[in-house]
Amino acid sequence: MRAKLAVLFVGLVVVLAAMPVRAHHAFSAEFDAKRPIKLQGTIARMEWINPHTWIHLDVKKPNGKVERWMIEGGPPNALYRRGFTKNSLPVGVEIIVEGFQAKDGSMRGNGRDITFPNGRKLFVGSSGTGAPVDSKGGKDR
Amino acid sequence: MRYRSVAVVLTLAAASGIAAFALTSAARSPTAASTSDIPSYATPRTAWGDPDFQGVWRYEAAIALERPSKFAGRELLTDAEVAEADRLEKDQEAKRLAGEEGEAVGRRSVDESPIRGNEYNSFWQDHGRPRKIYKQTSLITDPRDGRIPYTPDAQKADARAAARYGVGPYESFLDPDTGERCLTDGVTGMMWQGPNGGHNQIVQSPGYVTILHEEFRDRRIIPVDGRKHGNIRQWFGDSVGHWEGDTLVVDTTNFVDRTNYEWASIWTRPSETLHLVERFKRSDADTLEYTITIEDPQTFVKPWTAVIPISRIPDGAQIYEYACHEGNYALPNLLSGGRADAKKKAGK
Repeated sequence: MRAKLAVLFVGLVVVLAAMPVRAHHAFSAEFDAKRPIKLQGTIARMEWINPHTWIHLDVKKPNGKVERWMIEGGPPNALYRRGFTKNSLPVGVEIIVEGFQAKDGSMRGNGRDITFPNGRKLFVGSSGTGAPVDSKGGKDR
Repeated sequence: MRYRSVAVVLTLAAASGIAAFALTSAARSPTAASTSDIPSYATPRTAWGDPDFQGVWRYEAAIALERPSKFAGRELLTDAEVAEADRLEKDQEAKRLAGEEGEAVGRRSVDESPIRGNEYNSFWQDHGRPRKIYKQTSLITDPRDGRIPYTPDAQKADARAAARYGVGPYESFLDPDTGERCLTDGVTGMMWQGPNGGHNQIVQSPGYVTILHEEFRDRRIIPVDGRKHGNIRQWFGDSVGHWEGDTLVVDTTNFVDRTNYEWASIWTRPSETLHLVERFKRSDADTLEYTITIEDPQTFVKPWTAVIPISRIPDGAQIYEYACHEGNYALPNLLSGGRADAKKKAGK
């Protein structure tokens, strides 16, 4: 009986987990799943624009040359509701981006994950309804 | 006695073909709360006496539109299943806040699928409050099997659209769907769908109900002054509303068919024969029972109904501007991605 119940609950887990987060656009049309990227660089600019934010990142190559990458992030309205502000990723801060490069091979990619060089994650600890009273902010850096 | 009344209502409702509404009354059980003690809710009124729906609303329930096959033949979860799903939801929320990703937060494991379902880690998303667990096993309550009654042709189109999504061909700006083009995802899913959770603000004035949808800045101005349908076809059709007691009923026809590009989910597509009926009813202070009935012989063999609980966001919340064209780099990027794909193919 217990085992049966456990099986049932596992089934339920799968069903609820399977509800996808719908993105604004088809990821695989834009980015190449076979081109994973890991970049370390400093933030040159962050564009707070819909439907996705974009981080401009200066990445220094071993030969000293600097490449300017553009990294797609989450939607600005969602980030703002979670307490993400202009101060969360200021110009000059160093980050590590993991994601996937654009299909056309240009220096663009999506930023699935962002961490700081000391291993700290960009953004944890805020959630809620988006109402000002729920805004916890400040914990993202 | 109370249970017997529910049973009688269900029986009568099923017999008269309006099972959907009775079912939700019985099924409405956010978290594991008992349903039978909910007193009937006194809908607030505007200053001019209409039922008041004003505020910001967002879909926060964890119910699939179509009934998953493992629940075939079952319209409701058991109390134990509701409790377990609720526990799981809260557990995943705690893990999200602790910075975990992938399987731990209800997605696929990153090892198994670095892309599909894990394109963006959850820190980029606005998950809002933990999702609410209801007894319904699908939003669709009619037909009773909880599945969209597609015509055979529509079923093929749906498979074709799913296979094309993200694959292309992307040869023209007309190939991405209208959402990717920053136009709209359409009116049928507007009240509860969207990457940002489908925030909607309802604003009322004498004779009008206006719905402002955050994403794409969609807005619908619905007259409730007794007028009849006009004869202008529009992307969002022509909506007229009326009150049935505390319920707002909105009837929409005169859609224009602009679907030659195919939507990712074709049930949302309008055709010229689409007839959409929406019912808005406050079932308690924080819940809007939103019911859609969709009839379109071009896509469905019969009309179908979904009952969707939508949550009120506390006062002070607002919807934000969504200037989608401002930064829609995705459009040139996916077109250049399409060119890169074509080049690769030609080189082989």
